Amino acid sequence: MNLSTSNATALIRARGLTKTFGERTAVDAINFDVRDGEFFGFLGPNGAGKTTTMRMIAGVSPRTAGALSILGSDPDTDGPRIRGQIGVVHQQETLDQELTVRENLLVFGRFFGLAHKEIAERADQLLELFQLSDRAKDQVEPLSGGMKRRLSIARSLINAPRVLMLDEPTTGLDPQARHLLWDALQRLKRAGTTIVLTTHYMDEAEQLCDRLVVMDQAKIVAEGSPRQLIEQHASREVLELRFPDGTSGISKAALEGIGDRYERLAERVIVGCENGEEAHARALAHGLTPESWLVRRSSLEDVFLRLTGRSLDE
Amino acid sequence: MSAAQVAPRRSRGIFSTIGAYLPHPTRWRHVVGYMVAVYRREWVGSVFSGFVEPLVVLAGLGIGLGVLVGDRAAEITGGVSYVAYIAPALMASQAMQFGTGEAAWPVLARIMWVRIYHSMVATPLKPTDIMVGVIAFIGGKVAFTATFFAAVLFVTGIATSAQGALAMIGVSTLTGLAFAAPMTAYSVTQKTDQGFAVIFRLVITPLTFFSGTYFPIENLPDWAQFISWCTPLAHGVALSRGLALGVETPNALAHALILVAWTVGGTVIASILFRRRMLK
Repeated sequence: MNLSTSNATALIRARGLTKTFGERTAVDAINFDVRDGEFFGFLGPNGAGKTTTMRMIAGVSPRTAGALSILGSDPDTDGPRIRGQIGVVHQQETLDQELTVRENLLVFGRFFGLAHKEIAERADQLLELFQLSDRAKDQVEPLSGGMKRRLSIARSLINAPRVLMLDEPTTGLDPQARHLLWDALQRLKRAGTTIVLTTHYMDEAEQLCDRLVVMDQAKIVAEGSPRQLIEQHASREVLELRFPDGTSGISKAALEGIGDRYERLAERVIVGCENGEEAHARALAHGLTPESWLVRRSSLEDVFLRLTGRSLDE
Repeated sequence: MSAAQVAPRRSRGIFSTIGAYLPHPTRWRHVVGYMVAVYRREWVGSVFSGFVEPLVVLAGLGIGLGVLVGDRAAEITGGVSYVAYIAPALMASQAMQFGTGEAAWPVLARIMWVRIYHSMVATPLKPTDIMVGVIAFIGGKVAFTATFFAAVLFVTGIATSAQGALAMIGVSTLTGLAFAAPMTAYSVTQKTDQGFAVIFRLVITPLTFFSGTYFPIENLPDWAQFISWCTPLAHGVALSRGLALGVETPNALAHALILVAWTVGGTVIASILFRRRMLK
């Protein structure tokens, strides 16, 4: 794996980072650097080790082995100091439903030892930034899922963290709420916040991340910008052929030579190729009779498929 | 590189391990601040129940039982009326029940459902800071309710002096803490609230009866007396009764120290177990 090892501005650096729970290895000797000001992603299916990695970075899960440095400190010995400089948004909601929107921010700011006045000013700015000002005095409970998630992020920024960590930030949100959230995160990034997120959504990783690592079964299987990963691990276009009755009856010979490579899924054959239209013509010439077909640009989904032999949603 | 080739993380020194469990001198107060912010929405209701509960208890048990016990009261109590005998004990017993209950459901809820503790451990707060804050807040709440009880006992003349009534608030608070701290330690290990019924049935309810509340502890067989003195309520009852009647309680300092020991011991164990649960 090609790692930029001599990077002086790495805010987070992991070498051989490992976490085991009894017999199970959740994170297996991974290496990565997160640089100052970048949007960094951990992409992978559920159970790949993303959340465990995030917990180790956030200083709430002691590592089993390896080296880990966050903002120049070791979370084992400097946990409170590190946690004071990062913001964490959990996958599950951790807001206090008995408090109002604004109170959630005020109370949380105190946990960082900030002064009341400073917290109050910052809370109002954050409510403005996340378009929650008109709900400031409302209880949390009746808010929509998207609003609650925005409030969670606003709360995690109350200490003006250098690094914001988001674990699956848009899971369970409708498309409009996702886009609102993505816009807010882009604004934060432009303002200089380093952002680390986990996701199992390819489009999210492609939209947001400057750089990402692909995790699978506790290991990092690829690293780079979304574009680099696609160029390295996928062909230019993808031809998808659909076979609702299953793909197991199709002979290997019929599939070979249609494009550069192919993956056989339960009801689909994914063909990586330079030109999808031409590949489709070759498929018909090979005697294949798909019920439907489509051509699209390669995405991170194809990278993942190529690297692991599995589709992300399987 | 595989896990086996990686150098193991160096283990902590003994001082750094102890340091991880020591509370920060001030940060736990922010946890209390949070609990107060939540409590602000409901405290008006608890003022009402704070006055009503001691009155109901006194009327029902004190007067009702007092009539039953009748002339034999002096035999049991050594001269005072039965109401005056049990009322200060019931105040301590109520502190026990209240402290235990506050350390049960509210603690579990914030771990399992509200999940606010998960976001709290992601701040500079250490798990110990959170536990100290939670237990301190329960102590404050016990003191708040004990104030109503003390006021009722003073107004009815059962507590013979104002100083005694004030000191009784302190004893009740300490009694509540002596139960709240170990109960918090228990609650942070639970996944559902089913384990709470066991504690209330097998520990709290029996203690109400066998801690010198309704009859002198000396009426119990020796082994039962020994068990009673190992638990906090008997000490709270002894102190509370002495203060109400205005007589000196033998070994008062020892009683108080045992309550403190339960509080401190429970808080330490709660911190260890809470840390183990949250930081894995």
